[in-house]
Amino acid sequence: MRAAGVRAEEVPVLASFPPFLPWEVRPLVGVSDWGWGTSSRCVGCGRDEDETGVPIGRMTDDKDVLRDVWFGRIPTCFTLYQDEITEREAEPYYLLLPRISYLTLVTDKVKKHFQKVMRQEDVTEIWFEYEGTPLKWHFPIGLLFDLHASNTALPWNITVHFKNFPEKDLLHCPSKDVIEAHFMACVKEADALKHKSQVINEMQKKDHKQLWMGLQNDKFDQFWAINRKLMEYPPEDSGFRYIPFRIYQVTTERPFIQKLFRPVAANGQLNTLGDLLKEVCPAAITPEDGEKKNQVMVHGIEPMLETPVQWLSEHMSYPDNFLHISIIPQPTD
Amino acid sequence: MCCNNLRVKKCCFFIVPFQSLAFCLGKELNIHTLDDSEVAGICATSEVIRYEYHVLYSSSYEVPVLYFRACFLDGRPLTLDEIWEGVHECYRARLLEGPWDTITQQEHPLLGQPFFVLHPCRTNEFMAPVLANSQRENRNMNYITSWLSIVGPVVGLNLPLSYAKLVSEQNTKTD
Repeated sequence: MRAAGVRAEEVPVLASFPPFLPWEVRPLVGVSDWGWGTSSRCVGCGRDEDETGVPIGRMTDDKDVLRDVWFGRIPTCFTLYQDEITEREAEPYYLLLPRISYLTLVTDKVKKHFQKVMRQEDVTEIWFEYEGTPLKWHFPIGLLFDLHASNTALPWNITVHFKNFPEKDLLHCPSKDVIEAHFMACVKEADALKHKSQVINEMQKKDHKQLWMGLQNDKFDQFWAINRKLMEYPPEDSGFRYIPFRIYQVTTERPFIQKLFRPVAANGQLNTLGDLLKEVCPAAITPEDGEKKNQVMVHGIEPMLETPVQWLSEHMSYPDNFLHISIIPQPTD
Repeated sequence: MCCNNLRVKKCCFFIVPFQSLAFCLGKELNIHTLDDSEVAGICATSEVIRYEYHVLYSSSYEVPVLYFRACFLDGRPLTLDEIWEGVHECYRARLLEGPWDTITQQEHPLLGQPFFVLHPCRTNEFMAPVLANSQRENRNMNYITSWLSIVGPVVGLNLPLSYAKLVSEQNTKTD
């Protein structure tokens, strides 16, 4: 099944999505043959599905994208802030961070590591900082990296703090329940946009739990067995009601831009990433005769601006069901 | 806009940078703040808590959302636990059945700072009968006043009756 409004010969074939290699997390930047493939929408068409219900067969290319997004990792070096009081020297700690997860969800080992050299009374709520910027745990890790550390050398150097929690900048994260609540609030909001909350409200509590447990335990199949329902839409429509997206720029005071944006234009054409940017963030687009000033990044790659936002939403959303798009200055060589 | 609801050594400042029910994300905020002398004038006990309330429009849920933060006079912000302690006991037990669906700390979508939020995902559910009733009786209804009178008291924002009276006066005039 082809995406509506696009003729077959116009569809760039997704030949092979380059893998995220463990120690080279951004091999996709500048890869020109990567693009959106055929639509994997299978509502009512009875195509073969694998054990998770994700379509297989001719459409495996698109499923590869889901896997590659899920298993993206960022090599990271955690160092204790110099002013933290320790009883002996604190060695740095190295970890591969899952792009789709949250800092406070995957750093138990980091906390334990630094606790060992600290006095018990000095160990309070942990928080993270990169080059002077406190890192918001409620942003997915991949977004934090794209936004603050794209085009820098790996590993990503994150500083660990226990003192002086920046109340004005960061949300508190006293327990995993808080992360779960934040994650589920995002999923619910995304479904309010996509399906007027119908899909998420029809699910049972255990389905909600399965989404969360799938993310927490890094179980792709467990997560997608439920999440695929959130990615469906009526066969008579060409996509969701609205696309859940947020656009981030470090240069602005506002944390992000979020507006109502439909996947299909009034004339029936599929809206593209370029259309989205033109409407909500025109400054990010390179004028036809101008020099490229910005990179538009999702999961460490720059998707082609011709990519339909509906395809992006289905394949490159984070587990919270939002497309988190970073606009960062083009590096000068 | 400001009101001081003295409720067991607590002050509430009612600060609403409210933009009409049109799509508001993206417009300028206009926040009034009270300086410390005003605070001292209102209540001089050591347990004064300063509340700041913002009403924002959620385009996703198509409803208003109550954001708020609270701090002691020395500037120390209240934790989520301390916020729950301030929730009146007539609500607390019921709401604590699903604490994470009720109040959480979230980033203010315009300021980028931590605020507490009363979750909007059920707002349509409880406002629908109110709207239906006013339509049946062919009465004007100020949606914000009605909504705020329902959700505000949960987190210490008791809306004076004068707000509702104002609406009914307008009704009488238009009749």
